[in-house]
Amino acid sequence: MQWKPQLPRPLSTIQSYGLAALSVSVALGGALLLERFEFRDVEVPLFLFAVAVSAWYGGTGAAVLALVLSCIAFDYFFVQPLYSFYVSGSDLPYFIVFATFALLVTWFSAVRRRVERDLRQARDELKIEVAERTQQASLLNLTHDTIFVRDMTNVITYWNRGAQELYGWTPEQAIGKRSPELLHTVSPAPIEQIREELLRSGRWDGELERSKADGSQVVVASRWSLRRDEQGQPTAILETNNDITERKRREQEARVLNEELAKRTAELEAINRELEAFAYTISHDLRAPLRHIAGFTELLQKNSASLLNEKSQRYVTMILESANRMGNLIDDLLAFSRIGRAETHKTPVSLDQLVQEALSEVRQETDGRIIVWKVGELPAWYGDRSMLRLALVNLISNAVKFTRTRALAEIEIGCREQDQNQVVVFIRDNGVGFDMKYINKLFGVFQRLHGPEVFEGTGIGLATVQRIVHRHGGRAWAEGLVDKGATFYFSLSKSQGV
Amino acid sequence: MTNFGRILMVEDDPKDVELSLTALEEYNLANEVVVTRDGEEALDYLYCRGKFSDRPDGNPAVLLLDLKLPKVNGLEVLQQIKSDAKLMMIPVVVLTSSHEEKDMVASYKLGVNAYVVKPVDFHEFVNAVRELGVFWAIINEPPPGSLKKH
Repeated sequence: MQWKPQLPRPLSTIQSYGLAALSVSVALGGALLLERFEFRDVEVPLFLFAVAVSAWYGGTGAAVLALVLSCIAFDYFFVQPLYSFYVSGSDLPYFIVFATFALLVTWFSAVRRRVERDLRQARDELKIEVAERTQQASLLNLTHDTIFVRDMTNVITYWNRGAQELYGWTPEQAIGKRSPELLHTVSPAPIEQIREELLRSGRWDGELERSKADGSQVVVASRWSLRRDEQGQPTAILETNNDITERKRREQEARVLNEELAKRTAELEAINRELEAFAYTISHDLRAPLRHIAGFTELLQKNSASLLNEKSQRYVTMILESANRMGNLIDDLLAFSRIGRAETHKTPVSLDQLVQEALSEVRQETDGRIIVWKVGELPAWYGDRSMLRLALVNLISNAVKFTRTRALAEIEIGCREQDQNQVVVFIRDNGVGFDMKYINKLFGVFQRLHGPEVFEGTGIGLATVQRIVHRHGGRAWAEGLVDKGATFYFSLSKSQGV
Repeated sequence: MTNFGRILMVEDDPKDVELSLTALEEYNLANEVVVTRDGEEALDYLYCRGKFSDRPDGNPAVLLLDLKLPKVNGLEVLQQIKSDAKLMMIPVVVLTSSHEEKDMVASYKLGVNAYVVKPVDFHEFVNAVRELGVFWAIINEPPPGSLKKH
């Protein structure tokens, strides 16, 4: 709607008084001119007209000035005696009537001006508000958020572009419809309860399920604000929506995954408990019969030695050896299972120092042998001291063991590569080596590549090394050639590991 | 088996009992041993009830206790002994196959006097039992109220 108001702008003070003087002068001039042509008694209407013009365009001040000037001019030029300011008593009512009439005109004019001013002010305010509203509405259209307004009977009165994008209805389709029916709203609580909260606190937020124009379902995070009029009566509800369908779907997925994870964890824990019970059984129940085998065999040996022939004596010895070997196997297996279960206590450790400690432990086995040791420099690292020490002892004693057939054994310990997060330690020997096709068996529990009559051992050493290395976030591997020596590597990572 | 014993052995495995008695024979301690086969029987002995109702009064000089026992297990026997004012002074030695730390911790928490893991090796086992017998039944001065030596 275009409304061009034609109200004149008010004049300045000087202009309005000038106008008063001018209009009175013109009226006076006109009256004198007409008098010259013998038109009598036209001066009063002319002066009244001048006052009215002054009041109309110049305001009350101008009107009063015009009135005063008119009275003076009238008295001077038209009242006997002419050309004097003398006022006779008989003329006084005449003046009073004129003045009253002029004041009346002025008053009407003033009222009109006040009305005009109010009107102008109202118009200006209206203009500003219209501009603001227009701007707000277009701003609301700019946002991606869904915003719509409905009145207290849920009839939609405003529907922004975000609402159109989310729900698929244009403003023309949506405005005038009732939102619960249009959107098939499913609320988390009874609608009366929500409304009650809205009326009490002025706002509500929650998650709603709704239908789009294409029939698909959508979950929205909805915020409602109540608009009240000046009397405090609720008039409208402004609702903003955010589409959280995708988020809800992900949450649901995450929940399912978490449940699955919890189930798996529980399963693993159960398995772990079973393993612990198993280890306990081994430690307790397998030891006793073993002791009995060994014990009674020895008693047999002691009490009946004279009754046994050489062959039987050998059998008895073999029974004892086997019992001892089984005892060692059980001990190693238990130690191995403990490494898997024990917590790692990681501290800064000097690998150099650990190697020295391992060497001094292993050297007890090297009496009477010629071994050339080449020990390179190793960095300080971070890990479980006793575990890493055990790994080094196992690898070094392996190297010692498998070079036993060499007249001159060479064993090298060093560090191959290193960066911030990873170090690779190797132990190289010139021993009997191994065939690379058995590499997969090398680190397995109780896996052995040599008969016990050639090289003793339970086959748990490398499995233990691997488990320790895994618990330090690294891996263990080896390279070897039959009769050409072997190199064992393990990497340690600084930050990872269990 | 005599009812007049200064070493109370609680052991369910007859083979272990025999090996232990063999070990103690050397110091003529074998006939000082009373063997009970489970925790309930051990408590019967200590409280002079059941088949031990007519045994002479007095506590054993030492109790060699296995942990894994039928009916009442070793830890329960230990708990009962250490919570009874009349029995709490009896030295109790746990003699078990269990290396498990939790058993060890539980035993010490209940106030065991020694914890010995039965060695797998026969010789070590015999030595261990013999030394235990000698120490607790001969060298150690038992608390007042214990059965006197023959």
